[in-house]
Order: sequence, then C-alpha cells, then structure tokens
Amino acid sequence: MKKQSAVQKTARRFYGHGIPGVNPEQLAGKLIAVEGADGSGRSTQIAQLVGWLETGGHPTVQVGLKRSTLVSEELARAQEGNILSRTTLGLFYATDFADQLENMILPALRAGFIVLADRYIYTLMARDMVRGMDEAWLKNLYGIALEPDGVFYLSVEPEELVQRNLAKSATLDYWESGMDLGLSRDLFDSFVQYQIRMQAAFRHLQKTYGFEIIDANRPVEAVTRELRKKISGLMNGG
Amino acid sequence: MKTFRELNYPGRLVAVEGLDGSGKSTQIYLLKRWLEAEGIKVYFSEWNSSELVKSATSKGKKRELLTPTTFSLIHATDFADRYERHLLPLLRAGYVVLCDRYVFTAFARDVVRGCPPEWVRGVYNFAALPDLTFFFKSDLEVSLQRILDGRPKLKFFEAGMDLRLSTDPYESFRIFQGRILEQYLAMSREFDFLVMDANQAAEKQQVLVRKLVREHIDLSKFKRQGPLPLPPSVRREKRAEPPVAVVAVEEEAGV
Repeated sequence: MKKQSAVQKTARRFYGHGIPGVNPEQLAGKLIAVEGADGSGRSTQIAQLVGWLETGGHPTVQVGLKRSTLVSEELARAQEGNILSRTTLGLFYATDFADQLENMILPALRAGFIVLADRYIYTLMARDMVRGMDEAWLKNLYGIALEPDGVFYLSVEPEELVQRNLAKSATLDYWESGMDLGLSRDLFDSFVQYQIRMQAAFRHLQKTYGFEIIDANRPVEAVTRELRKKISGLMNGG
Repeated sequence: MKTFRELNYPGRLVAVEGLDGSGKSTQIYLLKRWLEAEGIKVYFSEWNSSELVKSATSKGKKRELLTPTTFSLIHATDFADRYERHLLPLLRAGYVVLCDRYVFTAFARDVVRGCPPEWVRGVYNFAALPDLTFFFKSDLEVSLQRILDGRPKLKFFEAGMDLRLSTDPYESFRIFQGRILEQYLAMSREFDFLVMDANQAAEKQQVLVRKLVREHIDLSKFKRQGPLPLPPSVRREKRAEPPVAVVAVEEEAGV
C-alpha cells in the first residue's frame, strides 16, 4: 500500500479491530455523519451541505443505509416480506454497512474526499438496541467502523416527527414506526412509542460515542447555519 | 457459550465439521436417514442455505465483491436467518437438528481470511453451541484428492483465491485448506469436538457416528408419538396409505 504524505493531526481510528489490512492513518479525507429519524430534516440538510461543500471546492461523496451493491436489493426484499428476525435484520444491515465502508467510504477518504454519511452505525445500533440486541454484541460487531470526524444527531420531538411525516406522505412507514416490535397495533401510537425509544437509545449511545445533538425542531435555516459552523470548525481544526 | 442441553432446550443439535472432501456430508446424511427410520423428529440444515440471503451471497461470489469482512458478515446473516427462523423453534419443539457445518466453519475460514478471531466469535455469540460436534479429520491430501478428482473447476472463493496465496487455483486451494485444517485442530479441544478418523471407510465411520449419537442423546425422548393430524382435505386421501407415506408428510409438516 502507498503511503500518504499528509498525516492526520487528530488520530484516526477504528472503534474496534477495524478492517483487516487498513491503516487508518492513510485516510486523509473527512468523514461526517448525520443521524436522525425520517422527518428530522436529514436529507434536506445533507443536500444543503453537499452543495455548500462542493461550491467551496471540496470533493464530496455520499453514502447511506441500504445503498450497497452487495445486499441492498436483497435487504429491501426481505423487509417487504416481514419475515426477518432481529439478529438477521441487524446482520443484514451490518453487511450493507461494511460493503459501503470498504468500497465507498475508505477509498474516498484515502483520496482525500469528504464523505457525508446519511446515517451511520449509530442508527443501526439504536434500532438493534430497541429490539433487544445486546449492546456488547453490537459494539464488537461495529468495531469494524471508522470513527467519523463529526457526528450530528438531528433531534426532533416524536410529536413533531409524526406531523412532518404525515404532512409529507400522508402515512407512517412500517419500520420507522417499529411495527415489528408489536408496541401497538395502531400505527400512530406505535410510531410515537418507537421514536421515544429510539431517542432514548441515541441519548444512551451519545454517552459512549460523544456525538453532537442538534435541536432540529427549529427551522431548516437555523439548523443549516449550525451545521455549517460546526463543520467549518472541524475542517479547519482537524 | 453454552450448549442447547445446558440451556434446557428440549431439542438437541448435532453438527458436523471438516474440510471440503472429508466426507462429513455423507456421514450426516446417513445419520439423518437412520434417525428418520427410528421415528425421531429430525431436521437437517446446511451452511449457506438461507433463501433470504442466498441471492446476495451468490452475487457477491460471482462478481467477486466480497472482502474478508463482508464475506464473514453475509455468512453470519445467512446463519442468523436459519438459526432464528428454523433451528430455534425446532429445538424448542424437541427436534434433533443436524447441521452440516456450524459456527466453527466461520471461526476457521474467516480467521484464515484475516478477520480477528475475537471479532468473529463475538459476531456469532448469539448462537448456542451444539450438543455434539463431529469433526471429520482427514489427511489434507485425501480431502484435496476427493475434491480435485470430482470437480476440476474450483470456484474463486472456494479456492481462497481472494487471499492471493497463489495464482494457480489448485495451489491456492491446497494452501487455503491446509490453513483451515490448522484452525480446526486448534479449536478441537476448546469445543469438545468428537474427532473422527475420516480416512476410514464410510460404513465404519457411520457405525461409530450412530453409536456416539446414541450414547450422548437419549433418542427415545425425541420420537414422534403419533403422526401429526393432517388438514381435513388431505386426511381423507391419505388415510389408506402405508406408514412410509405418513413419514414423508410428517417431514413436510416439520419443516
């Protein structure tokens, strides 16, 4: 493997064992993850950030959940069938993540790109935790993941999320409502209860992984301003 | 990790492990035939056979998209699907479940591919251990010969070509299998493998396999008491048929 001349100031690291044969110090770019439920304004903010970064002359790559070449179709099909048990679902998403990590994120970082992740391992971990998976098991599993330079969790109150989702698509998504958990047969109730649990899981993970919680109940522009400010800071500082 | 017996499951799990060409699949097939004939509730599950995951795995293999990490994770997904959807409910229902390869296959292969052993074991630690694990220990050359005689074209991952051990698939396969054998041997004591001499005649091995299974598992507890009730429309047609046919129907109902 070629040696990169620019060495990171802040030590780059994997959370655990990482990916065999990959030296994190050779990854020169920046990895920024934006987390948040559907309706948190995540996609809007990411689109904003891409525009802003590219205008500023930074080559940018986007990754997200269920976008891998390897398993995205199969995972989508399996979710339609509603026959996935929790460990299988968790591992399927982990496979999807690992494929993108190795084939998109790491090569882009090696080439000095900014990688914007539309959700990262924290959403996957929170979902699995809400479904009763063991936290130590998840930590080991996602020990393959690279620690991002910045992680921003767009936090929105569940009541507000319901309103935004209904205004957008007039219904609530089966999985984003956690219907597989059997919390309630009522889609509305299930959505609210599930999102409350997801927020609790995120707050719990925040203690370990120390990401930034952004109040995304505010107007889009206010959130954009805050994100830009924070990302400017980490681009200059790190 | 505990066995299903230690976890108080009514069922028992028997696994076979060994190199490709060690004859383990033949042995577990013969074991299955015997248990069925004895009227035991038995289910057979093969490595890498989940309907849900199969197309992703074969795409990954065909297009050589897999890295050691994704190779490991996609097989873990496959295993988890079979484990949660078939093995666990059947073991709760008091079945003798036979597995052609179990987590040890992953422990051996993934580690040879360069994944950290603790990580691989951690990923699979949701699974209980088999109550019996037969390891078919054959001479490397014997296993290689069996595979290479029958199937002249080796597949990319099967030959371990992703490890870049050699540009010659046959040479790569030899080195790869040799390393897997080392891993198996290193695990043998830790996981209480029943080590079988796979160089012996198949019939002789099967006699021993059946003896060991009878010694370790009180088979009388796993007998189907009576035929399962059939749905009304089927029941009328099937009533007059000999018991053999009933066994076949039971099997379907068990799956």
